[in-house]
Amino acid sequence: MSATELLALEDVHAYYGNIRALKGVSLTVGRGEIVTLIGGNGAGKTTTLRTVIGLVRALRGTVTFGGRRIDRVPTHRIARLGIAQSPEGRRIFAPMTVLENLELGAFSRTDREAIPQDLERVLTLFPRLRDRLAQKGGTLSGGEQQMLAMGRALMAKPEMLLLDEPSMGLSPILVETIFDIIRNINQLGTTILLVEQNARMALRVAHRGYVIQTGRIVLQDAASALLRSDVVRKAYLGEK
Amino acid sequence: MSDSRSVRVIPAALLVTALLGYPFLDRWLQAQTVHAVTDAMIYVLLALGLNIVVGYAGMLDLGYAAFFAIGAYTMGLLNSPVLGSPLYGHAWSFWVVIWIAAAVSAGLGVVIGAPTLRVRGDYLAIITLAFGEIIPVAIRNMGDITIDIGGWKPVERLNLTGGENGVNPVGRPHLPFVNFDTDFIPWYFLILIIGAFSLWAMNRMRDSRLGRAWMAIREDETAANCTGVNPVKTKLLAFALGASFSGFAGSFYAAKLQAITPGAFEFNVSIMLLCMVVLGGMGSLKGVILGGMLITLFDRILLAQMTFLVRWIGRSLGIAALANVDLTLWRWFFFGLGLVVIMLIRPEGLMGRRVRPPAADVDEEEEMQALVAAPPRPRMESLPAWLREAAARGRTGGPPVLEVRGLTRRFGGLVAVSDVELVIPVGGIVGLIGPNGAGKTTFFNLVTGLLRPDEGDIQLDGRSLVGLPPHAIVRRGIARTFQSIRLFQNMSVLDNVLVGEHCRLHASVAGAVFRPPAVVVEEVRARGRARELLDFVGLGDKALEMAKNLAYGDQRRLEIARALATEPRLLLLDEPTAGMNPRETDTLTELIGLLRRELGLAVLLIEHHMEVVMGISDRITVLDYGTRIAEGTPAEIRQNAKVIEAYLGKGYEQELIST
Repeated sequence: MSATELLALEDVHAYYGNIRALKGVSLTVGRGEIVTLIGGNGAGKTTTLRTVIGLVRALRGTVTFGGRRIDRVPTHRIARLGIAQSPEGRRIFAPMTVLENLELGAFSRTDREAIPQDLERVLTLFPRLRDRLAQKGGTLSGGEQQMLAMGRALMAKPEMLLLDEPSMGLSPILVETIFDIIRNINQLGTTILLVEQNARMALRVAHRGYVIQTGRIVLQDAASALLRSDVVRKAYLGEK
Repeated sequence: MSDSRSVRVIPAALLVTALLGYPFLDRWLQAQTVHAVTDAMIYVLLALGLNIVVGYAGMLDLGYAAFFAIGAYTMGLLNSPVLGSPLYGHAWSFWVVIWIAAAVSAGLGVVIGAPTLRVRGDYLAIITLAFGEIIPVAIRNMGDITIDIGGWKPVERLNLTGGENGVNPVGRPHLPFVNFDTDFIPWYFLILIIGAFSLWAMNRMRDSRLGRAWMAIREDETAANCTGVNPVKTKLLAFALGASFSGFAGSFYAAKLQAITPGAFEFNVSIMLLCMVVLGGMGSLKGVILGGMLITLFDRILLAQMTFLVRWIGRSLGIAALANVDLTLWRWFFFGLGLVVIMLIRPEGLMGRRVRPPAADVDEEEEMQALVAAPPRPRMESLPAWLREAAARGRTGGPPVLEVRGLTRRFGGLVAVSDVELVIPVGGIVGLIGPNGAGKTTFFNLVTGLLRPDEGDIQLDGRSLVGLPPHAIVRRGIARTFQSIRLFQNMSVLDNVLVGEHCRLHASVAGAVFRPPAVVVEEVRARGRARELLDFVGLGDKALEMAKNLAYGDQRRLEIARALATEPRLLLLDEPTAGMNPRETDTLTELIGLLRRELGLAVLLIEHHMEVVMGISDRITVLDYGTRIAEGTPAEIRQNAKVIEAYLGKGYEQELIST
């Protein structure tokens, strides 16, 4: 294992419900990288993320984070190791305020005194959340909920952030904003594994990319190379 | 069309022989189990009735024993009036009262159902729980009623129910040459006939328009409402029909037991019935029969026999604790334990529908090809002819299909939709775009009747829709799909489309059960139409799959097929290409274009994929903070400064160029 490798999946097999969702997925994310995992519906993107965070258990293969095996570690412990996830479909706590949602993100932290500073950092990244701190999470618009989910994940001060379809259902202008923010978060030092349907945007922001299809990695390369690859252009960028 | 045809002949014949021969075998063996088995069948009938409410319509009823009590006391009051009752001395025949009991129970089913229509889940459970408590209390107190108004006593010491003592004896049925007095075998056959008839009727109801509506309500009430199913009527029917079966069971029970007391209908009976349904598998007739039989026979036969066995063991080994044990006192312990175990190993119940086995592995090379190959394109030739005819009937030159004027809707202080205008001509495709939270989905919910506007008017073909419930609006010709797909997950693909046809079908409850030729013809035609629609959207070979097992893109197309089945004039699509890959998106865009060209179908489209909206819409309306900030052709919208600022963003042009 190289010194810069933060997350590594090695030949991971997993079931999602009764479907064999992952059939030997191997991928690595280096410290400081943005790596994207693209693929169609049901290809296994979300299952891969769930396997990392421990919500789905790998039947075979290993998941290591920072050199440590985590494939048998319970989810809440994994979260404490420094992985935070912003789930697909913006699962925020609807009856709680924006501020409470953000504070919950820092729930498992022990360095209480550093939290206000990070709250400030998150609010600088997402100025729209600052205007709505006292509002209930459920009353936010779709784009704001997406921001809240990401902000909450960042409040855990994770070493690594898992993003599941952050652009889903967002207007073009918000998609741009969200990807700008992703780039910002990364520049501030957070490693990112990004799962996306919007392959074009994802490959533009990422350093490297993997293409997953029915549970297997079928392509992997630098993001810029994938943007030029024939298969990717046809299958995911909609070019004829 | 029905399961009965697919039942293999030999097992069915064996079953009938066993059922007919059993009591005589029992007598020959002197086993004396007929009494207990007959009681078990009464509980099975009750559980089957409860299954309509809980298993089919998905409403948790914790007070079902109340209907059992009502059935039993109707028999008691009319067939064997107690001393003090105005009917004393005028006993009605069992054969008449059993029908009255069913009708009274059904009527009370509607009464209890009515206030619960707006509530579901926990609240419904609590209301039914209260009802289940009220009835036994009321029965207890109706044994001695005196109304005293300042000395004038219009009613004095009226005894309707026998109070705590109940009704004893209850009269028995009379038939020439049949001995109902000392022999249990006639009772057995009587309940067998009632049970078989009930099962037959339920089986037919399940496979009918009505059964599909129940299940649709269970799966997703809002989606069902927006697909043309009247939730109020459907739920009341579930309550009424479920109650009527318990009316039969109750009156039969009273007559067989010869005595009824309020204590026999308390909360634990409701829970036991619920256990039967859950244990067997909600929604499965076979499962409920099995669950009911298992629990009652366990209680009545097995526990008693086990007690003898354990006592014998205790005596043999000299253990006093075992020698004096009475396991029947532990019945609730064993019920609870059994249920916990079953729920842990088979949460769907003994006969509940299993989850499908894992899909077979696909060839890797095929996968790569599938990745690049295009999905089947919609073909004009496969467009169902009946849909064409339905569309031709509705087509007129007159007013626009949809005309929305001054539409306003507030949520507290927030104006979600403010004074919005929108007109869709016949066969027009209009795009509705705007930032997240701009009010697009609220606008859809107003047009489809899920929300009522505070101001403004919505007209379909020149007639106002304001105030109509969603299912009535579907009937008038507006169908929709949802942003997050809302299919009836645990129903087949075919049934999903058939629910779409619900509002164009006419079969009633009686029609569903007795199937007159008109209903059979209608059902066959409906199924044919559904199949054609599925072929058209490319799901023909998946008709019998469970909807939830479909791939994402297939689910989107099924939702559109379901919407088309309602024979709409106007189709509202809420982000139909969300989560689709580019080729699936292309196919869908073609499909929409085809529907407009061939059917003259008008479409209102919310969409974030700009290639789709700009490519297909005649005109586009842009909402921001609930107000219309722009309206025009795609070319105009693309260059509108306000729209670029609020929605498209500066990067949009680059995006277009790079595509």
